[in-house]
Order: sequence, then C-alpha cells, then structure tokens
Amino acid sequence: MHPVSIPPSGHRLTDEQVLLRDTVRELADARIAPRAADIDRTGEFPEDIRRLLADHDVLGLPFPAEHGGVGGDLLTVCLAIEQIARACTTSSLILAVQDLGSLPLRLGGSPEQLARWVPPLASGETLICFGLTEAEAGSDAAALRTTAVRDGDDYLINGTKRFITNGSVAGLVTVFAVTNPDAPRHRRLSCFVVEVPTEGFRVARLEHKMGIRGSPTAELELTNVRVPAANRIGEDGDGWTLAMRTFERSRPGIAAQAVGIAQGALDAAVDYARQRKQFGQRIGEFQMIGAMLADMDAQVEAARQLLYTACEVIEAGAPDAARWAAMCKLVAGDTAMRVTTDAVQVFGGYGYVDEFPVERMMRDAKITQLYEGTQQIQRLVIARALLGRGD
Amino acid sequence: MPRFWVVGEPNADGSISKLSTEVATLARTLAAAAGGEAVGVVVAAEPDRAAGELAAYLPRVVAVADPGIARHAWSVPAAERVAAVLGDDADGHVLLGAGPDGRDVAGTLAALTGRGVLANATAVRWESRLVVEMGAFGGKLVTSSGFTTPGGIVTIRPNMVTAEPSAAAGVVEGRSPAGDAALPRVAVMDSVEEAGAAAPIEEARIIVSGGRGVGGPDGFELVRELAAELGGAVGATRAAVDSGWIPYSQQIGQTGKIVKPQLYIALGISGAIQHKVGMQTAETIVAVNRDPDAPIAEFADLLVVGDLFDVGRALLVALRERTG
Amino acid sequence: MHIVVLTKPVPDPAAAAERLGPDMRLDRAASPAVVNGNDEYALEAALKLVEAHGGEVTLLTMAPPGGADTMRKALAMGATRGVLVTDPALAGACVRSTDEVLAAALRELTFDLVFSGFDTSDGNAGVVGAAIAARLRLPYLSNAAKIEPEPDAGLVRVRRITPTGYDVLEAPMPALVVCTQVLGEPRYPTLKGIMSARSKEIASRSLADLGLDGARVGGAAATTEVLDSRKPPARGATTVVRGSAAEGAAAIVSLLASRRLI
Repeated sequence: MHPVSIPPSGHRLTDEQVLLRDTVRELADARIAPRAADIDRTGEFPEDIRRLLADHDVLGLPFPAEHGGVGGDLLTVCLAIEQIARACTTSSLILAVQDLGSLPLRLGGSPEQLARWVPPLASGETLICFGLTEAEAGSDAAALRTTAVRDGDDYLINGTKRFITNGSVAGLVTVFAVTNPDAPRHRRLSCFVVEVPTEGFRVARLEHKMGIRGSPTAELELTNVRVPAANRIGEDGDGWTLAMRTFERSRPGIAAQAVGIAQGALDAAVDYARQRKQFGQRIGEFQMIGAMLADMDAQVEAARQLLYTACEVIEAGAPDAARWAAMCKLVAGDTAMRVTTDAVQVFGGYGYVDEFPVERMMRDAKITQLYEGTQQIQRLVIARALLGRGD
Repeated sequence: MPRFWVVGEPNADGSISKLSTEVATLARTLAAAAGGEAVGVVVAAEPDRAAGELAAYLPRVVAVADPGIARHAWSVPAAERVAAVLGDDADGHVLLGAGPDGRDVAGTLAALTGRGVLANATAVRWESRLVVEMGAFGGKLVTSSGFTTPGGIVTIRPNMVTAEPSAAAGVVEGRSPAGDAALPRVAVMDSVEEAGAAAPIEEARIIVSGGRGVGGPDGFELVRELAAELGGAVGATRAAVDSGWIPYSQQIGQTGKIVKPQLYIALGISGAIQHKVGMQTAETIVAVNRDPDAPIAEFADLLVVGDLFDVGRALLVALRERTG
Repeated sequence: MHIVVLTKPVPDPAAAAERLGPDMRLDRAASPAVVNGNDEYALEAALKLVEAHGGEVTLLTMAPPGGADTMRKALAMGATRGVLVTDPALAGACVRSTDEVLAAALRELTFDLVFSGFDTSDGNAGVVGAAIAARLRLPYLSNAAKIEPEPDAGLVRVRRITPTGYDVLEAPMPALVVCTQVLGEPRYPTLKGIMSARSKEIASRSLADLGLDGARVGGAAATTEVLDSRKPPARGATTVVRGSAAEGAAAIVSLLASRRLI
C-alpha cells in the first residue's frame, strides 16, 4: 500500500483540476499501486490497468469531448500522468503513449480522420503508439530509412521501427516514413496512421529492459504494408514538422511521469525515515538523512512547478514552446534519477531489495533521461532557442 | 426534581438488553447525585419480561404494552410511546444505549419532544447539570458537553458503565399506550438469521481481531479459536471484511463498530487510523505483527513481533495449559 | 424515481487536522472539507437505483457557502443537481436545528426516497435521519444493507441489519432510509463526470427562503454546547517482544494474568 504522502499543493490549479487530480490519485493509490511490483516482476503488460484507466475515462483525457474524450488541457493530462506514475511508471506510460501516439492526428488530422479514429482512442478500447524511432535513427530522427512509396491511391510502407512503446498492444500505429527522399531534410518525411494487424506488419521482438518492464517495447517490421492515402496525416512532407510539434506537447507528459516517479520515491523514503529506528531514534532525525530528504523535496517541487508553468505556456501557444517542453523534461528527468537514487540511499540495504519499491523506481526513472529525446537533445533544443537558431 | 428516564431495549427473545442494564445503572448514579429519580420505560408488544428484568436496576419501570408493535420496526412506535409517557416532563433527561435501535429512538424522540441530543457518550456526570463526555475527531479529543435546554437525550456507548443491580428490585407499572400512533409504522415482513452472526461485538469484554495479515477466511479459524479460549468475540478490520473473510457485523473501526473492551488482541493488524479509531480506548491492547514499525506499535501495550499464526498457536497452547 | 441524498461536508479525516476553535465549535477552516464518507455510500446506492429504474438524484446539504465546492465531487459521481441551505445564522447549529432545517428544505421537494448516511465523521451522532423522518411523517427504515424500491407498487423493501442477521422491512414511498457501508463501495467520479459537474445546478436556500427564523434555528438556538475539551490520557509505553513464538506467547499470557484478564 502506498504510504501517507506529503499532500500535493494545488494553489495554481483550478478546483476542477484539483478534483481530477485527486480522483486519479485515489484510483492510483487504491487500484494501481498494489499491482506495481507484480507488473515489474512479471514484465507482463497490465491489461487490467488499461481497462481500469479506460473505464474511468483516464485514457479519454487528451481527446476532445466532441469525439468522446474528456477534453483535458495539457496540464490536466500531465496531472493524471503524474499521479499514476507515483504509483507505477509502467501504468503511467499507457496514458502517456496514448497521448503521444495520437498527437500527430490531433495536431494535423482532418475532420474525417479525427471522427474515425479518436472515438475508439478516447474510450480506451484501442491503443495507439508512436512509430518514429529506428535502429539507426534515434536522436538523429531525420535519418529515417522507412519508406512510404505512392502506389495508386495507396502508399506501400517498408522499414523497421525500434523501441516502440506499446507496439505489440496497439491497434493503431502512427508511422513516420520517408516519402520525399530528395527533398530538404525536414520535408522528407510523412506521417501515416496504420491500422494493425494488417498484411505485412509484424512485431519482430520485444526488448528486455532495465525498467518500465511491464511496458512492451517492440521492434516493428513493415513489409509492403499497404495504407490508403487517406491515412496520411497532413500533406506529403509534413512528417517532420508534425513530429516536432508533437514533442512540444508530449515531452511535458514525460516530465510529468518523471515528477510522479520522483514523488513516489520521496514519499516512500519519508515514510521509511519516519518509522525506521537505528541508534535509538528515527533515522529521519539524523542530519544526513534529513538533509537528503529536504533536497529531494525541494527538487521535486521545483521540477513540478516548472512542468506546470511549461504546460500553461505551451497551451497558451508560446512561440518558444519547444524550449519549455525541453526544459521541463530535462529538469524532471534528471530530478527523477537523482531523487530515486537518493531514495534507495535512505533505505540503505533495504533499498536494494525488491521488498521495497524504491529499487524499481530507480530503474524506472532512468528511461526519463533517455526517451522522448535524450537529455542531450533537450539541451540542444534549449541552446538553439537561446542562441536564436530556428530548427 | 430531575428525572432520568431510561428507554429499555428488549431483545428479540423478550429479555432486556445488556446495554439497557448499563444505562439503567448510570441513571441510578445520576439520580443519586442529582437528588432525583431514575425511571425505566419499556415499550413492546409484550414488555413484561424485559420490564421485570430492568426493574432489578431501577426503582420504577413503566411497561407499555403495544400489541400493534408486533411485526413492525420497533424504534418509531417505541419513541412515540416514550414521548407520551414523558408527557409534560419537559425537564426530564432521557438516556438510551447507543446501538442502532437506541439511536433511532433518540432521533425520533428528539423531533417529538424538541430535546437536544448528545450521542455516543463515554461518561455522564451530574454537576448541577448533566455533563456528557464524548470522543471527538476519531478519539483525538475528549469533549465535555451540556444541554442548553432543560431536558436532553443522551445515548451511551456499550461497556462504559458496569451494570449493577439495585439493592432491591423496583416496581413495574403497566400502562396502555396513550393516544394514536401518528408516525408511520414500518412492517417487518421477515426476520432472517444468518449463520455466523455473533452477539453484538460492542458488548464484548474481550475481542480478538484479525486484519489483512490473516490472509483469508481459513486464517480466521485461529482468531475464532483464540476468542473462544478467552471467552471473547471475534473482530476484524475493514480489509478483512471487504475481502469477504468475515461478516460486516464484526468490523471494527471508522465505518464499523467502536469498541471499548477490557482486552483487544490485534492479529496481523497494522493499526492505521481507520481501524485505530474503533479500538484505541480498549484498556489493554496486545498486537501480533511481523512489522515492528507498524502504526499499532505506537499505542499497543504489548507488541509481539512475529508471525501471527506461529504466535497465535503458541498462545493457544499456553492458554490451554493454564486452564488444563 | 427521485431520490434525495443528504450529504454533509466534513473536515477530511485523512488530513487529521480537525480541531475546535476558541468558541468551542468545530474550526471548519482548519482542514479541507470532503463529502462525509458515509454519505458516499448513500449516494452510491441512490445512483445505482436511478440507473436501474430511471430518475434523478438530488443532493441536499446544510453547510457554509464553501459547501458548494464539496458538493461538486458528489455531483461528479453522477447526482443530477444540488440544493445547498446556507445562512450565516446556521453557524454552530446543533442536531435539532439541522433536522428542522433539512426537513423544511425537503418539504419543498417531491421525492420517492430520502437517503442519509450512517453518521458523520465529525459528529458521529447518526440521529438526524430519524428526526427528519419524524418531522415529515415519513416511514423510517434504518441500518439498510439492501434497498429495493418497487416504483410501480409505490413501496420500498429494505434489509435492516440486526445482531443475528437482518429483518426485511417494507413501507410505502416516499420514505427515509439510513444507509450502511454494506450497500457497496462508492464509485470514483469519472473524469467526464468531473467535467460535467461544473455545469450542474446547485440551488441555494437561505433560512428566509425556507421560512425559518435564524434566532430559533441557528447556532444561537443550539440545544447543546461544548463545555470543555482535553486530550485523552496517554497510554503507557509499548513493550516490544521479539524472539520465538513461545516467548511471545508467554509475554502475552504474563500480561493478561497480571491484569487479571485470564
């Protein structure tokens, strides 16, 4: 069971956001937290949690109400991700990737495309994943090799995607592929919604990972996968821009995940420090431990406030949205790694064994420094924004 | 002259409830302190047995026979008849047990007579006026309250007073119900006994309770055996009840019963606030738990760190050796 | 069917910050307010019934103006609308005032059933339901483990928990039922429910609206008063015994014997 935690501050949130956040929090504490250790140990995708999130409209949060969603803004989606991640990172990824995978559609899809695909996504009955990364195109996303060649009214897609979260459980894959090999760098890609299973589409393998072990990370092979042109989002060559605009809104989601992991680790460490006695007193009263907890608390709150500000700024349409998205993800990811590592330290030997959750949280935290753009990529984005080079 | 009315609750078999005898004892004490009178009222289709038993505790008991109550929910007609007996004694205080029936009568009577209500008292004294002690905020505070109106209604928790018969038995006055029954009576279509339903747990002197650590309905066998060996009742936390291991009637805590036994043995119970609220005023608290840092360690008298089944079975052996 | 559910905002028990103010009344500013836990069971029962039989659920609360915010969560669970009786004169109101005010508010409504929770976490009295039923001359069915209305026949059947099992009660509607947790876990509000709650109506009623006199019904007319409060006596230190099961058992037996419990 989740320990009693420091009550979250809500002073910049609307009453509605507070209620939404608290509802997800209660759900996470009561129904998701008890499953977290098992999900990590078995490495099985938690279909029961997916259903739980769907049943409670959590998966509907990012989607417009007119298509069956809840119509939550960016901050609201992040509040939900944060609360779930506090309990279980893998579970939070279900919502985060539903958001990420559908962003190109929501940002650039036509009314027909929205009407067709958003309802099953909003209801949570269909999952969607984000098919950009390849073995040779991680940070260097423009170096994609997957191709989509026009064939009458269709495209034929060929290529292999790597490290695709939920790739084996999704019913829709947002695939980025080269359609214009000779165009300038950022006009070479287009974006397609591929309904799977389909002829030529195969889940080749799943990764065994350090953390987020219940989240299926898949290698997807596309061999002459036929996709109607109506499934292309936006125009030929819009892919790169769609991806960049997606990251502006999806990176805060990962920041939220990181803040949630860090808070969960902090809560566990505080609870432990309150109860564990050595040398005749609670260990929290030793200065070295107290100082660690104090630093952890301040850092988590700082990351949280930066995240909330970024959400507000991005939602308001700031021209430097990319910088804000990168900043909040950068700070939150590093905070999560630092705080979870310190949490293990507070627990001492017990922090190293799986009877307590912090070793899992530390393993889970690492990914927030790696995916959705490594911390190094985030720094590049921020530096370029500061130095004035549009990219 | 201050008068303290005791509303006696008859059991299903016609005897007087144990809680009523406790309330009656309290009323006598108050009457003595106040220089007043303690009077019982028993309302039932056939009140004579209960009234006679209550008369062992009070100088005078009014027995109202209302055959129309038979096969109807008791509290509302009883409250009406009590209000009629109170008549114009607007200053009289009314004391009841704080069980489900007692509080139902208290509420109805409050509306009928305009009296205030102080509920779930843990102690009642007379200091020129009635002073009622109650726990507040999950037991964090003990408040002393009084009435601003002349007469008040007080419901008293079980086990706060030890029932003591008077030196001499009192008299029973039979009375027919006065006036019409104005409030609607609810028909009882059926009474169902459920297997495993135990005596009201609030009245138990000793309670052995099981929590999440018991692990399942089979685990409660040990809890039952220990309770039986000690002559006590079986209790449970909400977690155990929600998991279906034991009926809700045995649940102790914020959303279950509040108990004040002489001995509470908590097996596999962490002692979180929701449960603590239900049993923290027990005179002696013994806990068995694998976790030495469980919250119950803060307020138990004795914490045995260990597996509840190992310790529980060893305790059974040790107890049987004493009596054997 | 139309079911009115009585709800009360109380200090959040989880925050554990309740305290009395200098006037010996509950200091409502000291903790965040939530819907009284037991009222949520009543509300859940009401929602399930209107889902099965069709109809609406109205919340009725007597509270300071902030009570509207607390009502939002209950509206988010699926109630249709709320009625908030609020008046400065009601501060410090006692049980008698509460049931008189709520009864007056109920007289303005048409309903099949009124549900109340078992008791409140900040007062625990649990008598308001019975008092309201008496004032309104409604059939009173308490300690409900199961509630089965038959709208066509205009009656309701309730299983009332008894020490040995349960009684099956039957009464014509409209009736008042006091609910228990056995009726079933309250649902979480769905997120859609939360979003739609903002547009649900909360009607406000003052004492004047209800034709009641604040001098007779408010805190000034309270029938009870808190004279004093203190912390309960601290328990002694805890003895912790580790070791074998036999040693633990021996320690228990020794304690029980020393206190003449065995």
